[in-house]
Amino acid sequence: MESLNALFSLGFATALTPTNLLWALLGCTLGTAIGVLPGVGPAVTVALLLPVTQSVDPTGALIMLAGVYYGAMFGGSTTSILLNTPGEAGSIVSALEGNKMAKAGRAGPALSTAAIGSFVAGSIATVLLTVLAPVIANFALQLGPVETCALMLMTFAAVSAVLGNSPLKGITSLFLGLGLGLIGIESQSGQSRFTFGLLPLIDGIDIVVVAMGLFAIGETLYTATYENKIKIGLESMKGRFWMTKDDWKRSWKPWLRGTAIGFPFGTLPAGGTEMPTFLSYSAERKLADGETKKQFGKGAIEGVAGPEAANNAAVTGTLVPLLTLGIPTSATAAIMLSAFQQYNIVPGPLLFDTNPELVWGLIASLYIGNVMLLVLNLPLVGLWVQFLKVPRPLLYGGIVVLATMGAYALRQSWFDLMLLYLIGVMGFLMRRFDFPVVPLVVGLIVGPMAEKHFRRAMSISQGDLTVFVTHPISLVILLTTVAILVVPPLLKRRQALLQEA
Amino acid sequence: MIRRVSGEQWLAIGIILIGLIMAWQISDIPVDAGYAGIGPRFFPSLVVTGLIVAGGALLMQRRHRNGPDTIIEEGESDSDELEAEEAVNHEADWRMFAIVSGSLLCHMALIGIVGFTLAGTLLCFGVCRGLETRRPWLDLGLSFVLALGLFHLFKTLGLNLPALIAGVL
Repeated sequence: MESLNALFSLGFATALTPTNLLWALLGCTLGTAIGVLPGVGPAVTVALLLPVTQSVDPTGALIMLAGVYYGAMFGGSTTSILLNTPGEAGSIVSALEGNKMAKAGRAGPALSTAAIGSFVAGSIATVLLTVLAPVIANFALQLGPVETCALMLMTFAAVSAVLGNSPLKGITSLFLGLGLGLIGIESQSGQSRFTFGLLPLIDGIDIVVVAMGLFAIGETLYTATYENKIKIGLESMKGRFWMTKDDWKRSWKPWLRGTAIGFPFGTLPAGGTEMPTFLSYSAERKLADGETKKQFGKGAIEGVAGPEAANNAAVTGTLVPLLTLGIPTSATAAIMLSAFQQYNIVPGPLLFDTNPELVWGLIASLYIGNVMLLVLNLPLVGLWVQFLKVPRPLLYGGIVVLATMGAYALRQSWFDLMLLYLIGVMGFLMRRFDFPVVPLVVGLIVGPMAEKHFRRAMSISQGDLTVFVTHPISLVILLTTVAILVVPPLLKRRQALLQEA
Repeated sequence: MIRRVSGEQWLAIGIILIGLIMAWQISDIPVDAGYAGIGPRFFPSLVVTGLIVAGGALLMQRRHRNGPDTIIEEGESDSDELEAEEAVNHEADWRMFAIVSGSLLCHMALIGIVGFTLAGTLLCFGVCRGLETRRPWLDLGLSFVLALGLFHLFKTLGLNLPALIAGVL
């Protein structure tokens, strides 16, 4: 009840001011426009547009960035369905069935079920966020440095061991991120570390430079080197646009199931949208019967409706640990966290007390943003499709110019441009050898926080490491961490042994 | 028999080198016992160890064939894997990599001299060339329009960008 009071008295009062409505609309529009471009996922969209918010007040800026985040997710489905080019991992499944539907002349229903499913999932997940966030924030107030440090360790284990094909590559990527996060002044002792005597490194490496280097520059270098010859075919919007009665009947249950799968996954530190979308897809496939089952792989609407809902519910879910614990569980959430830090706002349990207008305004703007995106994506889908016709060279040229501008604008320094390029080359190599980048981004941003909490925990316990197992909550978190690391390889081994037998 | 080093193993060697350079740098961090004996060298030491161990494990890992889950059996030849990897490398167009890289480095060198608009135009055009544009003159024009548009948009938003002619270009 308290949550609803706060949502209406503070949240909507803040979000419904003309200026903030304008920021939400601008964010949703820009997010959809950039997110619809092939190869551009929500992380890079938010990073590219971060400099735009530099002169905006914190509430307006975060409302806009949340709109960008949501908009990019909505836009990504259009690219997946019409171009078969998912901008991020969460849209891969939509590309599987959605593109087949488009090829069969059913692009309209595929886009509609994706947009409406995203709206339904986003709205339900926002209600859950409204109800759960204050409860979790209250619980989080009881967590001390020991528990927080254990929680961060679990985040590291989850994002590196669960994402990608190889846990070893995930862990390597995590350590690279942790290493980058160490550069600069250490907050507790004031000692400079790994600066190589270079003044620009004293402040550390900005997450925006890293995100744009990895995602924008790395991707462009990879495309130029390896994918120049690949031709991408845009499916035309032929056939009827609206969903039939049968499409509605086949979509509503997958929307709800997708939401139920996606939201909890988003709240866990297991890194984003990839897993819930695949789970939703496989659930829909298993639940299908008769004729519908045969359609899977050839363009089943359930295979678009469920995963798209799961995708958007997971995105909203990532805001729960971000706002209540200050822990980002995906690359985009990490960039959002850096947006908070840009304004010296620390997300975490105290955020609801220290900045209630901002946090409730942000949550209220998600409800508004969802409606805006539904309006933007259903009647205006024809407009976004035009964006897909932008020639690829010019598209990447524009992205690189925006990325360099964002990096340069931080400190007006060519040094940041050099860092951007070097990190871009690193991103290129990681892409070439299939290293996941999310652990690196999470390691970079959560690493310094984990170090701070670890040192606090040690100072409280006077250097006694057993404090991590004597505190019950910390013990449970650490046991879960061990399970995350140990169970998947054991299951894989068991499966291999069974197959051999 | 001397085995050839794959691209992934070169990357692993690079990671170990980064770890070693960082290890060497740890000695430059002033010693400070900090609270409960945990000073500013503690966490870097953990990270450096992690990097070297992870890089070493990557280096020692048998090369994978047919996806990362299929491990080559002991004693089995990995020539197929190398051939497959070389096939990918042959498809790589390093000239295009050089064009995009060169454009980025030129942009870095020129932005303070010719301003954002012109440096951005050259960068955008360079990337277009790197992605094998088929209409260079049109892309050059569009690159200029894009860079000029972004310059004025971000100027309006309060971002301070270097200009060749203040407020115009």
